[in-house]
Parts: sequence; structure tokens; C-alpha cells
Amino acid sequence: MPDFVAPTLDLHALAPEFVLAGVVCVLLLLDVVLLDRAKAIVGSIAGLGLLGSLVPILTLATSDHPTRTMFGGSYVVDSTSLLLKALFIVSAYVVVLLSTNYIGEGDYWESEYYTLLVSSVLGMTVMASARDLISIFVALELLSIPAYMLAAWSKRDGRSNEAGMKYYLMGVFASAILLYGMSLLYGWSGSTQLSEIGRAIGEKNSPAVTLGVVFVLVGFAFKVSAVPFHMWAPDTYEGAPTPVTAFLAVASKAAGFVALIQVIGQALVLRMNVMIPVVAVLAALSMTIGNLIALRQTNVIRMLAYSGIAQAGFMLAPFVASQYGGIDAIVIYLVLYAATNLGAFAVVMAIARRTRSAEISSFGGLFSYSPGLAVALSVFLASFVGIPPLGIWYGKLSVMRALIESQGRWATVLAIFVALNTAIAAYYYLNVAKTMWFDDAPEGESTPIKVPTSLRFAVGIALVATIALGVYPGPLTDAATPEATPAAAPSGR
Amino acid sequence: MSSASDFLREYLTVLILGGVGAALVGLLLGASHLLRPARRQPGKSLTYESGVDPVGTGWTQSQIRYYVFALLFVMFDVEAVFIFPWATRLEAYGGFGLVEMGIFVFILLLGLVYAWRKGVLKWV
Amino acid sequence: MIASLFAAQACAPSECFAVPANIAFGICALLMIGAAIKVVTETNIVHAALYLVVVLAGVGVNYLILQAEFLAVTQFLVYIGAIIVLFLFGIMLTRAPMGRSDDLDNAKLRPAGIGAAVMLLVVLGGALLSSFGETHLVFSTANSTTALSDAVFNQYLIPFEVVSVMLLAALIGAIVLARRD
Repeated sequence: MPDFVAPTLDLHALAPEFVLAGVVCVLLLLDVVLLDRAKAIVGSIAGLGLLGSLVPILTLATSDHPTRTMFGGSYVVDSTSLLLKALFIVSAYVVVLLSTNYIGEGDYWESEYYTLLVSSVLGMTVMASARDLISIFVALELLSIPAYMLAAWSKRDGRSNEAGMKYYLMGVFASAILLYGMSLLYGWSGSTQLSEIGRAIGEKNSPAVTLGVVFVLVGFAFKVSAVPFHMWAPDTYEGAPTPVTAFLAVASKAAGFVALIQVIGQALVLRMNVMIPVVAVLAALSMTIGNLIALRQTNVIRMLAYSGIAQAGFMLAPFVASQYGGIDAIVIYLVLYAATNLGAFAVVMAIARRTRSAEISSFGGLFSYSPGLAVALSVFLASFVGIPPLGIWYGKLSVMRALIESQGRWATVLAIFVALNTAIAAYYYLNVAKTMWFDDAPEGESTPIKVPTSLRFAVGIALVATIALGVYPGPLTDAATPEATPAAAPSGR
Repeated sequence: MSSASDFLREYLTVLILGGVGAALVGLLLGASHLLRPARRQPGKSLTYESGVDPVGTGWTQSQIRYYVFALLFVMFDVEAVFIFPWATRLEAYGGFGLVEMGIFVFILLLGLVYAWRKGVLKWV
Repeated sequence: MIASLFAAQACAPSECFAVPANIAFGICALLMIGAAIKVVTETNIVHAALYLVVVLAGVGVNYLILQAEFLAVTQFLVYIGAIIVLFLFGIMLTRAPMGRSDDLDNAKLRPAGIGAAVMLLVVLGGALLSSFGETHLVFSTANSTTALSDAVFNQYLIPFEVVSVMLLAALIGAIVLARRD
């Protein structure tokens, strides 16, 4: 029997995951020991724990070894993965802020809510570093399973149950397809590691590889709600508790993209002839159909859901230009989109606390009685449109630059699609802004909306991030661009 | 286990044993069927419910409470699946394996503690 | 007859595998196909779940034929032991009609289902045959269970630990959602 050599664990590199796992255990133990008395503190503990897990990310980012590889290249911590982990954790922190009042005031299981939220974030941070099929799949399931259940967390509400059910059924269906594709790729290459798979499928194509690539892409397309695999998204977003919707629309979708970034960037990029047409069609369809349906929505949450589908199209497009900085563009876009989208959700939640509705018409005259919220939402909407110097404009710029630089046929077509769809999207985003600024307020709406401190704080974080990263995107670009030779780094350290 | 055929030959024993078992059951039941007298009456084929006439059908909705037990069973079933291979290499792993498996089992035990403390294991 | 095939000694290892294993696979595959068809056409949902047991057991036997002993045990333990229990519980806990229900098998959609199945068979079968048709199975003489264990505790250590958190989260969420209050 061969001797067993224990793997070298870089505890510093794994520290964010350890902290998050610790937070899950602490939240659960608090709930177990204190029972109902835990409700008062679980929200703060979850928030503090998430902030605590940012500390090792900061120390890692500033350490001497920015790139650390473990398990023979299956688990990599580099600047991009650190940026993505920070994105997930900060997004989750904002979601905790959004939840504090919403979950506390409603009929919800509070302690378990935060436990599941943090375990989902743990799955996302693992995803950011995973470089092998098994890690990716397990991370995907860890981040999805709590999300399925959180979508149905409003137990007495039929629409929430429907949201959870649809999300769950579509999600497991996607997982099955994904797993089948992964098994084909593994069967062909004989390795679960993405770099090995890339080498094997790059050398020689076969029908099984084509099928595997298509299945893997389709599986992830469900997760990021790309057309034509988007059917679950609007109903789930509308029915789920609003903080959960924000979590799904931002963190969960970003995690799907991160998985795609790993799989495409490390492996499928070597099988361009199969990957590009699939991704290009998904991107073009998502942009166009998402936008066209968003045009007709009267409910802001549904509009954000469909516009999120369109935005997913914008983020899928640069995969076509993977070798021309397309992947970096996606990472940049993801961060900016997360900041803007979370901000928009926070403001919509603040308004819905009073109006009890998310219909666009109920936003009429918002500027006259709650100018702060109106200005904040206008900033986020302008960022969605891509007006410089607000947030997403830089993401759109990076996407366009990558598409144009690659000069491929598909990339050029997609660049035209991006330009056209940006124009369409401007109409419905600005329509909401117009309602807020120029329409009359509904009867009896004259006192300013009282916004709880936590929501105020969430809007503040999103505003600062949207404006600051739009005005000064330098550090973001640096973090999103990997060092020259990340794949060639030896194992161990 | 040197070659494929050796491996499968070992399982042939299992197959034969299973076959013998099935044949034995079939033989005994068949023999009793042939030997006993048969007088069919509708009352005889009723479900036996402690001597009382059964009410309704056998297909009824069960308590949701059972579901938690099934879930716990699945969870510890999966845990067992990971413990078996670990046990074959327990000595080779030494303290490292113990710590890793300890973390794994600890996290799963939290689930059991949770279920117990939240009263879902109580039979009301 | 099968016993004599197993007893055949004077052949190369690869051939030794081929004949008896192929026969065993053939029997197993036929049983699985029959049971799988019954799963979708059966009008009693409990019976459909029980036919699924046959399909899953067939998968386990296939693992055994491929010498993946541990995988086979896992298949029996987890799928037949646990997943089917959940299936049956799920059926019995909901208000879904048990016993016969004729709308469980939609005869009108049968041509569409057959069409989709045939298409999938052609595409998948074609792809697999043309890609792996010439590949011969190579069996290692090492104990596969210990090899698996070494892989779990080395290369796949992180997913292994993550699985425990995943199971925990699934359990907690399911308890909350399944509670009456």
C-alpha cells in the first residue's frame, strides 16, 4: 500500500473560508443555546462575521505571495479570486443590512435565515478559488441549496413557495445537465482539473467533447439566467423575500459567472470553435429578449429581474473575446453591476416599506417628498444605463474594448448588439427616473419616507462604490487583471 | 484481486447465494401453496387491523413529522459513505485524517443537535 | 452457463473480462430499460418509485461490473437506502393522489416523448461511440477504495469539508420549511 502524503495546507490562504465556516457554526450554536433569545443578535453576528472574513482577504491581498496554489493547482488564491471573494462578502454584508428590518419585522425564521445566507457565501468564496470540476460542483451546490430554500423563506406566502419551487426545480435540472457535461469532459481528459482538461480538449476534438462543452455551458446558463434558460428568474425574483431577491440577483448570479470564468478561462478557451457560438448566441438572446420584456414591465422588481437577464447578456458577451482581456472585463462588470444593483434594491425596499408596492406608478413624485431616495435611485439607474462617470459605464467600456480588440466575427456582431441594447435599456431605466422626478405624487404622500439606519447604510455603501469605482476604476482594473503567469505557478506555495 | 475475472468470480458466489436463497423461498412457498386447502372468501383478503374492520384504504397521507427523520437518515447515510474509505486508511493518515474527519463529523453533528434542540425529534 | 464462462481460465485478462461481464451487463441493461419505461408509464406513483429502485440497483450492478466496488456499495446505500425513502416519504406526505391516477401517464404526449428519447439516444450514443468506441477499459490492481480515500483526503480535501456544510445547510433549511409552525 502506498504511503500517504498529507497535502500542504496554506492556512492563511484558506482563512476567509475558515472564518465563514466558523460564523456558520457560531450562528447555529447561538440558535441552539439561546433559542428565541438569539433573534436579537444573529443579524449583527452575521454582519460582523462577514466583515471579519474580509480581514484575511485584505492581509492576503497585501502579502508577499499574492498567488498561492494548493492541491496541485486545484485551489488557487490570486488577486482576481480575492477580488471576487471580497465582492461576494461585501454583497452579502449589504444583504444582511437589507434583511435586518425586513426579516425581523416579518414572520420569518431569523437565526436559520442568517445561517443559510452565510453558508451560501461560503460556497461562493470556495467557487472563486476552485480550479477543478469537483470543487466547482460542490461549491455550486453549497451556494445554490441555501438559496433555493431562502427563496421560499416566507412560508405562509404562496408566491414565495412558488418562487422557491421554480428556482429549485430549474436549479437541480441545470445541475444534472452540468454534471453530465462535466462527466463527459472528465471521461475524455481523465482529469478533473481544469488546466488538464483544457490541455486534453485543446489537443483533439471529439463529439463527446463538443457535447460536454455544450452541456456545461447550458448548465451554467440556467444559473446565470441567460435566455432561453431564464424562465425561472422573474417569478422567483418577484415571489422571494426582497433581500433574498437582491442576494440572488447579485451574489448568486455573480457566482454563476465566476464558475463560468474558471471553466471557460482555464479549459474551454482551448476549444474556441465550440465555445464561442454557444456563448455568443446566449449573450445576444439574453440582451435582446431581456430588454424587450423589461420594456413592458410595470413592477420595478420584475423590471430589475428582466434587466438583470439583459445585463447577464452584456457579461456573457466578452467570453467570446476571452483571449483579449474579455475575462477581466467580465470581472470588472460583475463588481460594478453588484454595487449598482444592490443599491437599486436597497432604495426600492426603502420605498416599498411605505408604499407596500413595487409598482413603477407608486414611485410618482418621489422627488417631491423624499428627495434623498429619488436622487440615490437616479444615480443607480444612470449607472445601469452606463452614463459616465457612474459605475457600470466603465464596465460597458471594458466589454466593448475587449469585443472590438478581438476583431472576431462573433465579437463584432456582439459589439453591435451591446450598443443597440444599451440604447433600448436606457429607455426603461430612465422612464423610472422620469416617474420619480416629474409625475405627481399619489394622494396623501407628502411626508418623507423614514428609512431605517441599516437600509440607509446599505444605500450609502452602494452609492460610494458605484460613484468611486466609476470615477477611479484603476485599482479595480489592477485586481481584475491576473499576473503574467498564474497557471505556471508550482504547487505547494 | 489480481484480474478482472477473479474479481467478478468472487461476486459469482454472491450471485449463487442469492439464487439459492430465492429458490429456497420459492420452493417453500410453492410447496405450501400446493399442500394447503384453498377456500377463497372476500373477508379473508381484508387487511388485518387487530381484528377490527379496516377503515378507508391503505393509501393515506402521513405526518410531515416523519420527513425530518428521513432527512437525518440521509445526512448520516452520506456521512457513513465518507467514513468507510477513511477507515480503510485510518493508520496511514494519522492525526491529519483524524482532524479532518473530526471537522466533518462535528459540522454534521451540529445538525443533529439543532434538530434535537428545536424539538423536531420529540414524538408528540 | 454463466458459471462456465466465469470459470474459463485460458484467456488474456482483457478477454476474460469481456465475455462474462458483457453478458452480465446485457442482462442488467435490459432489466434497467424495462424498469425505466415502467417508471414513466406506470399510473401508480408509488409503483413508479419502486420501479426506480430497479433502475438504481442496475446502476449499482454496473459499477460492480466495472470493479468499482465502493461506488456500488454507495449506490445501494445512498440511492436505494436513502433517496428512495425520501421519494416515498415525499409522495406520502403531500396530498398528491396515491394509488392509481390516470393523468400520471399522458398518452397524448407519448409520441413527443418517444421522439425526444430517440433523438437523445442518437446524439448521445453517436457521440459516445465515436469518442470512446475504441477505448479499452484498463483495470488497476490496486484497491480502489483506498485509492478513493487517498484522493478525498488529498486532492479533494476542500470539497470534502464543504460537503459537510452543504449537508448541514440542507438539513436546517429543510427542517424549517417542513415544520408546521
